[in-house]
Amino acid sequence: MRCYNCGCNLSEHDFCTSCGADVSLYKKIIYISNRFYNEGLEKASVRDLTGAISSLRQSLKFNKNNVEARNLLGLVYFETGEVVAALSEWVISKNLRPKKNIADDYIDMIQTNPSRLDTINQTIKKYNQALTYCHQDSLDLAIIQLKKVLSLNPKFIRAHQLLALLYINNEDWEKAKRELTKCVQIDTNNTITLRYLKEVDEMLAPEEGVKTNNRKKNQSDEVIKYQSGNETIIQPMNMKEGKGVGSLLNLGIGLVIGIAIAYCLILPARIQTAKANINDELRIVSEQSDAKTATIDELEQQLSELQESNSNLEQDLQAYMGKDGSLQSLDSLMKAANAYLTNPEDITTVADYLEEIDLDIQSEEVEKSEAFEGLYNTLLALVGPSVAESYYNDGYEAYRQENYEDAIPNLEKAFQYDPTNGEALYNLANAYYRSGKEEEAKAAYQQIIELFPGTEKASKSETFLAEMESEE
Amino acid sequence: MINFEEELKKFHPSLEVEDAEEAIYNQDLTDMADLMVKVVKESKAAEE
Repeated sequence: MRCYNCGCNLSEHDFCTSCGADVSLYKKIIYISNRFYNEGLEKASVRDLTGAISSLRQSLKFNKNNVEARNLLGLVYFETGEVVAALSEWVISKNLRPKKNIADDYIDMIQTNPSRLDTINQTIKKYNQALTYCHQDSLDLAIIQLKKVLSLNPKFIRAHQLLALLYINNEDWEKAKRELTKCVQIDTNNTITLRYLKEVDEMLAPEEGVKTNNRKKNQSDEVIKYQSGNETIIQPMNMKEGKGVGSLLNLGIGLVIGIAIAYCLILPARIQTAKANINDELRIVSEQSDAKTATIDELEQQLSELQESNSNLEQDLQAYMGKDGSLQSLDSLMKAANAYLTNPEDITTVADYLEEIDLDIQSEEVEKSEAFEGLYNTLLALVGPSVAESYYNDGYEAYRQENYEDAIPNLEKAFQYDPTNGEALYNLANAYYRSGKEEEAKAAYQQIIELFPGTEKASKSETFLAEMESEE
Repeated sequence: MINFEEELKKFHPSLEVEDAEEAIYNQDLTDMADLMVKVVKESKAAEE
């Protein structure tokens, strides 16, 4: 405690040891201030916030520099939802004692959180708006607004009280009591709360119900009001309940309304649910279908690859085997060579084997093989003339006997093995001509003219050709 | 019996955060100690 005159620390004496000023009265004032502070602290500790506010204000009336009392007053204001009042007390406290002051922490707690400060401001604005609605008789809007306020700041005592007052005005006693109970939980000894609560309790008390009804009857004798859950039912006293047909009619109307509600509310909801289920199932099936399609695509790709691989392998195999059995031609050539080496006189067997060789293949594929060509030509040179002669003899004999079917293949072979044998070709042409194969005959005559020019066969061929053309 | 209109008059708009500064400046901070000092000074002046 410091002297009010010189600022020195005071001792237990009733005067200042520094300046000599009489401080007995000043000390009493400070003591009273501290006493009120202690009282306020005790009340705050038992949640008598209204009492605490009163005591702390008294304390500050005696000593404005009682920083502890001011800080506690701010805290109590904050607890009751009066944030601006709390901030004011803390700011003043901070100005009185700039250092080592807990008010610093309280102010920081609010100022460092902009969203919280904004929420506080919104709460106050909405409360003021609700109050404006009340003055404008827009009580329903006021109730809605106050509910918003309390959702933002559930400890706002004044909002609870105003909401309770509005419920009392609506004679919604249960809701009013609920709000007032919340008020009591925050501030146990608030005079307004207790007064409202007393009124509500009187209205809710069973023995007082008669009074309430009487009062209501005085207000309106023609109606009966009663509470059913959250609804207030108002029923005219003089309403006559229908009997007999009227009851059945009402029952029927109720039934129709019930069915209509079912169609309007329940059925759409069920349809919606069913649609949602179908959509879910459709989605699942679609996903499965997509997965299977992907699998099929993959399998088709694998099949395509396998077919390509198979085709390549077949090509490789054909390359190894040769086209149209070139290996067979080689085999036949080997057999022919073997037959000749075994028995050179058996020309027929050698010729048979040589005939098995496909000359076309031989000419295309095996032509590249010099060994094949050399062996084939050697064998052909060795046995060719004899074979040609044999074929010519057989063919000519058949030709003479006018057996052209046998003559033609033998003469063809004879000319094949001995291309210098013009007689064979000439007789072959004649055989064609006489067997009616004019085209083949023409080709053969033409070949004679080209291969054996200046010979008798050539001139005869020209004659035949001219005759055939003149016949046409 | 609670009179709604009368009770409603007891509710006043709450101070908004923007108004806090003005509220602080307008607060009457005179306390009993100030009054005592003033009285003492006035009595001393009267004696002199």
